[in-house]
Amino acid sequence: MLRFCGWAFLRLVAVMLMASFAGAMLMRIAPGFSSDDQEINSGLSAQSIQAIRQAHLADKNIPAFYAHYLVSVIKGDLGTSRSLNQPVKDLLKERLPVTLANLAFALAMGWLLGLALATGAQIWNVRAFTFLADGLSGTFISTPAAAMALIFLLLRLPPVFAAALLIFPKIYRYAQNLLQQSSAMSHVLTARAKGAGPWRVLAWHVAPIALPQLIALVGVSISLGIGVLLPIEVVSDVAGIGQLTWQAAQSRDLPLLINLTMIVTFVTVCATLVSDAAQRGFTRSAA
Amino acid sequence: MKIARIVAIVVLALTALAVIGAGPLAPAGYEQQFREMPQAAPSAHHPLGTDDLGRDRWARLLYGMRVSLLLAPLAALFTTMLAGLVGGIAGYFGGWTERCCKLLIDLFLSVPWLFLLITVRAVLPLNISPQASVAVTFALLGLLGWAASARVICSGAKDLMRSEFIWLARAAGFSGFKLIRLHLLPNLRGALFAQFWISIPVFIIAEANLGALGLGVAEPLPSLGSLLRELQEIVTLRPEPWRLLPLAVLIAVISSFQVLLNKQEVRA
Repeated sequence: MLRFCGWAFLRLVAVMLMASFAGAMLMRIAPGFSSDDQEINSGLSAQSIQAIRQAHLADKNIPAFYAHYLVSVIKGDLGTSRSLNQPVKDLLKERLPVTLANLAFALAMGWLLGLALATGAQIWNVRAFTFLADGLSGTFISTPAAAMALIFLLLRLPPVFAAALLIFPKIYRYAQNLLQQSSAMSHVLTARAKGAGPWRVLAWHVAPIALPQLIALVGVSISLGIGVLLPIEVVSDVAGIGQLTWQAAQSRDLPLLINLTMIVTFVTVCATLVSDAAQRGFTRSAA
Repeated sequence: MKIARIVAIVVLALTALAVIGAGPLAPAGYEQQFREMPQAAPSAHHPLGTDDLGRDRWARLLYGMRVSLLLAPLAALFTTMLAGLVGGIAGYFGGWTERCCKLLIDLFLSVPWLFLLITVRAVLPLNISPQASVAVTFALLGLLGWAASARVICSGAKDLMRSEFIWLARAAGFSGFKLIRLHLLPNLRGALFAQFWISIPVFIIAEANLGALGLGVAEPLPSLGSLLRELQEIVTLRPEPWRLLPLAVLIAVISSFQVLLNKQEVRA
């Protein structure tokens, strides 16, 4: 377990280093990087403008620029948003809790609905039920998140339910597939032949096999949920990270945008590692 | 399920016909303005009415479908080639090459797809010509969407490299490009083909999301995504439900793709 944790930590560091390097490079190569609005400020003296230009010249050295960026990030200085003129840290403090609360609710609802339908399809094995569940998941998986948010706005429903409905198809399809595969195993067929009821078979024979792989899906579903919430927050005017990202993209506020992407990457990588560890732990204890 | 597959084939065939015949089917060009009748209701001349600028909505839908449904497969082809290259290299060489490739794949998979697209899109200039915006949008989809497919290809290539016939081929003196061309690629064709088909609906939805957020194809060129922007005038949607048709078409096309894709491939 210690070795796994060590590798997981190294993987996290490597991915974050690569992500921060890619982010810094994107900032550096973006058109307009070396210019500053303050250079056309008539209120500034020639010396001040020269100092601003010197500061930008220092950024032309790519390794130095990346090192400076990395040191700032490690110190907790995420920079200042150009468009909103506020420290990125403060913006995150305001917006992150909103997104995290919505994400938690959407994930809980999506998982509940997906698992309930997959279990129902497995237990009852009624063609009409499976057809309905497949149809629902097929429709929602085919709907863009932005359009879904618009429909919910039109129907005056809370936008977080739209996110839940967009997350559920993935959970449903994956869970149903896993349950089907586990149900076809020989020891499950034996249990059925010996007269065990569907709920007993599910709880004692199918679920223990399917559960570790379902746990691994938690990390993926967090990444999916964050992606789904972005357009929903924009369309529904929810003041979260998604809306902030869109505002940053519209005003090409790259420091803010790249720091946001880094934080989202950190959250998703951590979630994936935790779900991998949980899956590993569960598989070991089951064995 | 057989009926669902037949319906899906019919929907996609009709869509393909509409895309090919957009010119003759459309009553006007996608950017032609009928200034005397902006926001007109459906009529014989304008089956879906006109938009705020007096442009025929039916024509814009047909041309929008053409843009989205012709370029999404192109982006899918590009992404499949990229995935084949990275996944194939990782699976063929193994060891540190595989670990490095997997780290790169992990990096791409760690960032939520739409965040990555928006971040990279914002780095590029936003005020570009409509044609350039189409190229940029679909090139980005192709460039950034390869990671999940590469993981599948890598796993397939790794399995093949361990198979007996590859050992036999190696023992017979096959190596390098010859081994890849004669043994690896033909056996990975199925996986590559599946990844290509899976990528098409994913890219159509991604373009729709980008377009709806105003970061996709630029005006006046229509795409299924940019047509969704019109839905944001939510107050007028109830009295003018025909404006929901682009969304209905989008859902029908993606659902048809989902039905036609092999169940196991979609769920993998």
